[in-house]
This record gives sequence, C-alpha cells and structure tokens, in this order.
Amino acid sequence: MEEQTINLPQLLILLLLGGLAIRYFFFASSPTTSQTRSATSANNIRAREADVERIQQVFPQVSRRNIMWDLQRNGGNVVATTERILSGRGLEPSQPDLITRYNLKAKLAEEASRRESSDSAVEEEQAKQKQGQAWSQNKGERQALLQRRREEMILAARRKMEAKVAAESGQTNQSP
Amino acid sequence: MASTTAQRRLLQEYRALTNNPPEGITAGPVSEDDMLYWEALIQGPEGTPFEGGIFPAELKFPKDYPLAPPTMRFLGEVWHPNVYPSGLVCISILHAPGDDPNHYEHASERWSPIQSVEKILISVMSMLAEPNDESPANVEAAKMWREQRPEYEKRVREGCRRMLGL
Repeated sequence: MEEQTINLPQLLILLLLGGLAIRYFFFASSPTTSQTRSATSANNIRAREADVERIQQVFPQVSRRNIMWDLQRNGGNVVATTERILSGRGLEPSQPDLITRYNLKAKLAEEASRRESSDSAVEEEQAKQKQGQAWSQNKGERQALLQRRREEMILAARRKMEAKVAAESGQTNQSP
Repeated sequence: MASTTAQRRLLQEYRALTNNPPEGITAGPVSEDDMLYWEALIQGPEGTPFEGGIFPAELKFPKDYPLAPPTMRFLGEVWHPNVYPSGLVCISILHAPGDDPNHYEHASERWSPIQSVEKILISVMSMLAEPNDESPANVEAAKMWREQRPEYEKRVREGCRRMLGL
C-alpha cells in the first residue's frame, strides 16, 4: 500500500511521457490539427523536396536551389525540369535580364523620348548628378545613390549595346 | 545597435567604393540592414568577348569577415571556365589560405584580411579577360575556350546581349 502511494506521481509522469511519445511518433506530421491548411502545404513542400531529391540523384552537378526554383516556376513538372537540364544550358539562364531585374523598362522609354529633346538638358542633368556622388551620412541617401549608379551603369551599357547591334544589323543588310 | 567587426569593416569598404569607385564596378549592400549581403555590377573588360556586358553578382560575407573571404556568385549565365554553371566564382582570392582545393595557388594570391571587396571585383574582372585553365569550374566552357575559341566568344557575346535585354 505504501509503495503504491509513492509510485503514483511516478506513474503520472510515466503516463504523461508515454502520451507525449505517442503524440510525437504518430502525429508528428500534423502537430496542430487546427492548421489543416498549413499541413497540406507542408505535404506539398515535402512532395516537392522528394522531386528535387530525385532529380538531383540523376544530376548531382545541378544545385538544389536551381532545381527547386525551376520546379516552382513550372508548377512542379519534373519532366520539364529534366529536359531543361538535359538541353545543356542548365537551369540558370532563365534568370531575368538586367532591365527586368532592376525594373528599368520605364526609364528606358523615358530616355528614348528625352533623346529627341535638346542635348543641353542632358548635360545639365549629368552635371546635377555629378554633384551627388559623395558618401552621405544618411542611410537612405546612400541607398538611393547606389541605386542610381547601378541604373546609370546598366542604361549606359544598354545604349551602347543597342547602337552596336544596330550597326551590325545595318552591315549585314548592306552586304549582298 | 551594436556593430560587429565585419559590419564596421564592410561599411568602411562601402564608403571607399562610393567615394572612389573603380572603373566599371558598382557594389554595395542590397540593404544596409544586412551588411553581409551585397550586390555588385561588373563591366565586361574591353578587348574581350565580355566587352559591353554588365554582369550582376551577389557577395555573401561570413560573420567573421575579413578573417574569412566572402563567396561570390554571378546572377545569370556567365559562360566562363572559372565560373560554375550555378554562377559561383572560383578564383584564388576567394579561397582562404587553409583551403586550396586545387593545390596550385600561391598563398599570396589567396584571401587574407588585407584583401578587400574592391580587390576581389578587380580580380574577377581580370579573370573574365584571362581564364585560368588550371582549375576549370565549368568543364564544358573550359573545353570550348581551349578548342573552339570562336564558338566560345560567340556564346559569351550572346550572353552579354541577353543580359541587357537585347
């Protein structure tokens, strides 16, 4: 009798631990029953990861991240991703070009229309931009300057490349 | 906000790169809230098939920078013997003296705290101009560079155009 009363708290602890263990082993996949939606999306992610695993076993040279990204893009089409890898170009080239990446479409159009206006306006603006080239104490201004320098670099390169492409196509048109 | 050695050092490098930008290089943190993650633009060197191109890359710095080097990855295709198909750049300045995967690099060429982001980007620029055939990261590109130079140059030029949306 005495032994039993001593064992009662131990028994309770044992039951509690047993319950937790059962919960852990059998219900680990859906820890909170109230969030059924997140559970299904977790299942999707798991299925996606299994696909990534399968593709990577065949193509160990392609990074997990790229496979995941490509599957995400094509809606989980394993065959399409496999074909893309087999085509030899890898999964990378579908990265956006610089104009898309930095959202410069509007700036390009603006520049094209400005090219028709007077040159002096362009020079004026360039002089204005030169002024703001130094390090600012303000974090926001620094960020804005970096962004502007980046955009100028890309737009200038794009202008030159456009001219070059135009010159080349002009040449091929002239030759018989 | 307490700033670490890495953050202070990177802010200092960011300032130097802003006040005194090297020709053809723009680099800085994507957001100053995370100084360990930078984005850079590198201009293709003149007189090479990369001429006229602009190549974006991300730089990820370790917490113990400048003791350990950052990793650099081009965003988008750069067809080059020393750039992995994933965009990861493989040059000696990005390797710590302790790890020399290729067993040919001189310690002086490798990473040390006296190097800098600027030196990395300039090294990458010269790498674009002169591939190192000893350690191909992209075997296919290396083979093409060695054996079919005109094809290699054509593919690089096409890449430059595509990157600029043309």
